[in-house]
Amino acid sequence: MSNYDRWLMVPALIIPAVASAPAYAVQYMNVEQAQKVLFPAAEGFEARTIQLTAEQKSAIEASSGVRVRVAEIKAWRAIQGGKPSGWFLLDEVYGKHEFITYAVALGMDGAVKGVEILDYRETHGSEVNNAKWRAQFTGKKAGDTLKLDEDIKNISGATLSCKHLTDGVKRLLATYATVLK
Amino acid sequence: MMSKLNKVMMLGTVFMATAGTAQADEALFGYLRGAETLPKGANEVVQHLTRRWDKGMGEYTAYDSKTELEHGFTDRFTGAAYLLGQAVKSQGLQIDGYIPADINTGMQLSGVELSAKYNFLSPAKDDFGLAAYVSGAYKRLDRTSGQKKDAYQVEAWLLAQKNFLDDQLVWVGNVGLESTYAVRLPIAGANLTEEQWPTTPEMEIGILAGTGLSYRVAPNWFVGAEMMYDSEYETQVGRERWSVQAGPNVHYGAKDWWFTATWLPQLAGGGFETYPGQTDTSLHLIEKTKQEFRVKVGFNF
Repeated sequence: MSNYDRWLMVPALIIPAVASAPAYAVQYMNVEQAQKVLFPAAEGFEARTIQLTAEQKSAIEASSGVRVRVAEIKAWRAIQGGKPSGWFLLDEVYGKHEFITYAVALGMDGAVKGVEILDYRETHGSEVNNAKWRAQFTGKKAGDTLKLDEDIKNISGATLSCKHLTDGVKRLLATYATVLK
Repeated sequence: MMSKLNKVMMLGTVFMATAGTAQADEALFGYLRGAETLPKGANEVVQHLTRRWDKGMGEYTAYDSKTELEHGFTDRFTGAAYLLGQAVKSQGLQIDGYIPADINTGMQLSGVELSAKYNFLSPAKDDFGLAAYVSGAYKRLDRTSGQKKDAYQVEAWLLAQKNFLDDQLVWVGNVGLESTYAVRLPIAGANLTEEQWPTTPEMEIGILAGTGLSYRVAPNWFVGAEMMYDSEYETQVGRERWSVQAGPNVHYGAKDWWFTATWLPQLAGGGFETYPGQTDTSLHLIEKTKQEFRVKVGFNF
């Protein structure tokens, strides 16, 4: 057997292992379930999908310091007693390799009421679904620091997931202040 | 050689089947290092295998094996221990002072190494990552000739890393200093002059620098390129050799294991001398080869 043949054993072993590697996706809840958790007293939700203009994107990026990757904002208005009671925002951020789908609930004052993880496809860092970690966002408003190791504690070993979710919440708060307020 | 390589690969396959879950500290690059460290309490086993071949004359193929056990002592401090192995097959190429005879060693244990890495700034949290890396190694075999040679080597590196585009694009820059004390051992049965195989101690200082980019092209997949400048200085001749290697890399990160493959051919090189009859004088082919390819497979637990 030649050296080249020997060397080909490496991809020959790796490729089947990669091909057979299962996807690691955990769906904690769907949109409806998340809406129920975040707005338990709401009797309905009005979908308000918003397409950001270039100017709005720039304004959000300037005020939050976070890149706006997608121009479409998936928003629902929570209705309670026939009146708006807040906003339910659905978003996606990168973890390390995969997207994390999460939802942020904002009260009528624009402050975070809660954050829920819907889908976690990452192989690591699922500790971000820890209720205590997510509770750090409650009460945050547009303009707050929202930075790891400052007002948001990091989880060792899940740094990228923590960072991207923190940036995501910061971006959604700036989005609220720019287009939903 | 064949059976030993087979064993290494089979061992890797068994690891893949049995490794548990942990946080990854994946190496996106084959030759360069990022600034991140393992989380506290996390462990990683990494098997490195490098193939070096083609010196432009005769037949030259070498394999370097590195089996690494890494542990996160704190979130910022990672230590590692390594077992080193090598196989050298060289035929039809004799270079005074470097390759005294044809050889075909098969895979042999060639040394041990310890390293420590300290993270000053996190690329994810501080916008710019910076770490220091130091290592010390004892080697009992010469990586060029495959002959016996006692070498003590220390390395010190500064590792910089900057992430872009939501951490999907990763840049790293490494600069390092390598210091080696080595003594070639006499070759039993061979009647060689001091010029052909010097057995007096030698001291060498290496200056190394590298840079690379890696981009997430699909879930779990990163593709990039890396470049490494490698030079060696010694008292008698000043800069004894230099080379620039560059090439593409690919990285895959799964739940509890990952692999990285890098092809790093030599693009330019030179130095104090070429070997007699060397036709390609735009490369350094005494201690280096025209081609290098490295695969690393890591398991987290």
